[in-house]
Amino acid sequence: MTEQAMVRIEDLHKSFGALEVLKGVDLEVARGEVVVILGPSGSGKSTMLRCVNRLEEPTSGRIFIENDEVTDHKTNINHIRARVGMVFQSFNLFPHLTAKSNVMLALRKVKKISKEEAEQIALEGLARVGLDDKADVYPIMLSGGQQQRVAIARALAMDPHVMLFDEVTSALDPELVREVLDVMKGLAKGGMTMLVVTHEMGFARDVASRAVFMDEGVIQEQGTPEEVFDNPQNERTKDFLGHIR
Amino acid sequence: MEGIIEYLESIKFVHLFMSPTIIWQSLPLLWKGFQAAAALLIVGYLLSLPAGLTAAFMKMSRNPIVRIPATFYIDFIRGTPLLVQILVIYFGFPLLMPGWREFATGPIGQISVAGIDMSQFVRAIAALVINSGAYLAEIFRAGIQSISKGQLEAARSLGMTTMQAMTYVIIPQTVRRILPTMMSEFILLFKDTALFFAVGIFELTLQARTIQARTFNMSPYIGAAGFYLMLTLPLGRLVAYLEAKLAVSETGREPENRQERKRRKAARAKEASA
Ligand SMILES: Nc1ncnc2c1ncn2[C@@H]1O[C@H](COP(=O)(O)OP(=O)(O)O)[C@@H](O)[C@H]1O
Ligand SMILES: [Mg+2]
Repeated sequence: MTEQAMVRIEDLHKSFGALEVLKGVDLEVARGEVVVILGPSGSGKSTMLRCVNRLEEPTSGRIFIENDEVTDHKTNINHIRARVGMVFQSFNLFPHLTAKSNVMLALRKVKKISKEEAEQIALEGLARVGLDDKADVYPIMLSGGQQQRVAIARALAMDPHVMLFDEVTSALDPELVREVLDVMKGLAKGGMTMLVVTHEMGFARDVASRAVFMDEGVIQEQGTPEEVFDNPQNERTKDFLGHIR
Repeated sequence: MEGIIEYLESIKFVHLFMSPTIIWQSLPLLWKGFQAAAALLIVGYLLSLPAGLTAAFMKMSRNPIVRIPATFYIDFIRGTPLLVQILVIYFGFPLLMPGWREFATGPIGQISVAGIDMSQFVRAIAALVINSGAYLAEIFRAGIQSISKGQLEAARSLGMTTMQAMTYVIIPQTVRRILPTMMSEFILLFKDTALFFAVGIFELTLQARTIQARTFNMSPYIGAAGFYLMLTLPLGRLVAYLEAKLAVSETGREPENRQERKRRKAARAKEASA
């Protein structure tokens, strides 16, 4: 066997009641790979990402993170989640905590790290996203871009092996998108394994090792960003790219 | 001073409803009644908090065996008069409890809590907790559900257990948001203690009623009203203040009028210095 995959999704199905959203998704992501996922709204991108850390319960199929089967109910999902960072479209910072405390909370309560050490990790993490001067500020006083960078720092502080990004720049004003993408590019170049749902083509071309096009609950086409964007084979992909350009 | 009082007492309406002399003479008994009401309020409310929280989580459960009894309890209590609940619980309690007579007439049953016999006090507290627990349950549930689902997901995605997410993320936000409503419930409960006059507990209202019956004068009730207001007025102000503060923390802006006032003040200061 070659090097073990970071994330392996096998024949993933997910239904909400009668609505079948994922109809058999297979995807393998190697360590250090940056996979960009795109597709029309409602095609199941978020659902797939949320199945990876089991925020959604898959209907059938198996998912592995490194050696652990996420979908096996005997695995402690909280241990896996601590290794899988996730960043959301709507930031979801804890509004009653300062930026620093947002980053510290899970370090203290999940990893049981001492207060001093957690504080140091938090300050380093905030510095890494360029916000060390905002450590004691509450989320409401931060711009959307700054909030999203804190959210990234919060996820990174847990020292994750893989990061999931779900349209993290979609809720941002255009002038704030770049500061967040720059942080993500830095991460990608630093070797982080990333699954990124985004329509930012520039970002994809710059750092993605692979682009995956999803529609109707399955992966329709995948390849290098150049292959998928410049020379799509699938009719749906062509149609979709025609629309967003 | 005496002249003023004499003059006031000579006005029939004032004498019947606001007689300074009778109110003054009622004060010691009204004060006792106030203490009894406050004891019922504080013990009752404190015990209602865990009761309400439990009922709220039960009602939010996906398991119908847990959810349905909680829903039934909350609807039943909120849909019936407190006076009826008090009568049922106060007189039903002894029928249900084995060994009640021994307890009530025994040394513990005779202990006085702020002037109320323990055997009366526990029954009154049971009624208050059962009643207020249902209202608080709805306040808690609505508060918890008003916190966006993303908060729980963010906490869970960081590896927190549901319990940790509730303790460190959801509940602190909920409490801040519902604090004014919780305090309003506290004020309501205080006024509700007046209903215990119906079962012969010497709280504020029954004290006033006893004096009124003796003097054929309404003034003791007005005196009692003063005691109720002593607590409800400042607390009401505090609720309004908290609500305004909450609006600031939720929107990041001060309410318009305060902002406006500050701006005008700053402008005036500038003018003066120029
Ligand atoms: N919790 C849910 N309950 C019911 N339907 C859902 C739920 N989450 C997502 N869906 C539906 O699943 C489909 C795919 O949603 P999603 O994965 O969010 O798509 P995408 O992220 O690609 O826009 C949509 O039709 C959406 O309405
Ligand atoms: Mg989505």
